[in-house]
Amino acid sequence: MRAFRFFPLLGLVGATPLLSCADIGAPSRTIAYEWRRIVATAAGPDTLAFHWPESRLPVRIWAEDVLNLPVHVQQGLAKWEAAFLYGELQAELVSDSSVADIIVSSGIAPKGGFSITRLESSMAPECQGATDIELDAAGQQIIPPIRVYVDPRFAPSTPGLDMCMALTTTHELGHSLGIFAHSPNAEDIMFADPAVTDLSERDRATAELAYHTVPTLTVAPR
Amino acid sequence: MRTTLPLLVITVAGGAPALQAQVDYNARVGVTWASTLVQDIVINQVEVRQKLAPTLVLGAALPIAPRYRAGLELALATSGYQRTETAGETVDLGTVRTGTITLGLDGPVSGGLRWRGGLGLLRYWPAEEQGVFLQGGTTRFLAGAGIDYRRPILAQWDMMASLRYDFHRFTTAELEDRGFSQSQGVHRVGVTVGLARGRR
Repeated sequence: MRAFRFFPLLGLVGATPLLSCADIGAPSRTIAYEWRRIVATAAGPDTLAFHWPESRLPVRIWAEDVLNLPVHVQQGLAKWEAAFLYGELQAELVSDSSVADIIVSSGIAPKGGFSITRLESSMAPECQGATDIELDAAGQQIIPPIRVYVDPRFAPSTPGLDMCMALTTTHELGHSLGIFAHSPNAEDIMFADPAVTDLSERDRATAELAYHTVPTLTVAPR
Repeated sequence: MRTTLPLLVITVAGGAPALQAQVDYNARVGVTWASTLVQDIVINQVEVRQKLAPTLVLGAALPIAPRYRAGLELALATSGYQRTETAGETVDLGTVRTGTITLGLDGPVSGGLRWRGGLGLLRYWPAEEQGVFLQGGTTRFLAGAGIDYRRPILAQWDMMASLRYDFHRFTTAELEDRGFSQSQGVHRVGVTVGLARGRR
């Protein structure tokens, strides 16, 4: 019976961590950079925003089996998927390019489409990338597949080439997933001349905003 | 409290016949409802919450006073969890299992009714490490209370119905790393029915 008298005290001590009135506080995402593409039209500037809709998940991606591209794509996708807290993005590699929403291949991008081209790199000159997105005649609908190009400028054995291919693939995947602009910050993977291998807090916040903003572009059936 | 837990475990395992005769066992099944796990604002308000979770509860209790018992209760629940946005979109995010262990006291109310209060730990096990659970599950302190109703149906067996409420504060390592402050108060209510065997 003596021990029984201590139960209320033990209860109070045990419950102390629970006694907080405030709810969880969401982080500020004001660090995000502009991810939409502003294009000039006859009527004035038009803002193009896009993200893969829930109905099109998982996004299907085909990668050419050269220069370790499938591995770079898999790792790049994992980084972008990890940017999201609420299942906004899921993607998978597919073996059949005819059903792919995004096609990743090596080589230089041909001219055409509205191309989001990675600027030439001074910090990592071993490779370059580009993402081509084709729009319909009205300019309101994306015609899949989105094509990503990652081009090695030197022989595969060149030191630093594999890392350049990896970060460039992650950067170009960011464009293909809806981040249509470049970050002004050199520490971000979406900087025009990226030198980092992982997504920054700004990259993650930007991706989150992109996937909760009403898109102005839709995507046609594949 | 330190001695009660090992004592119960040993007793339930059949270590002490005299005590074993005094132990009350029960097994119940039911459902658990939980309030919002995470609230966020990403353009719109975003909420993450569990769906109604099928629940299995196992309990054992030992008399510590003429009218009071100390008991150990283990509850396992599994359910999907989903995000809802103010825009109206609801998206399934996967499956999460919870395991709860509580050490509590119970005493009489009237007739077949008994109150129960307890403290314990709650563990979240996500089926996949992603999203808010990217760095895995989380273990939280928990406080709860409830009421049990028992009605004899056989010589040593009672039908038992229970209503439970508990409260914990939810966060995960991933949410903390992403800059979420504080934690989210989560209320849970469970209703279970089952069988109990032991002293009345």
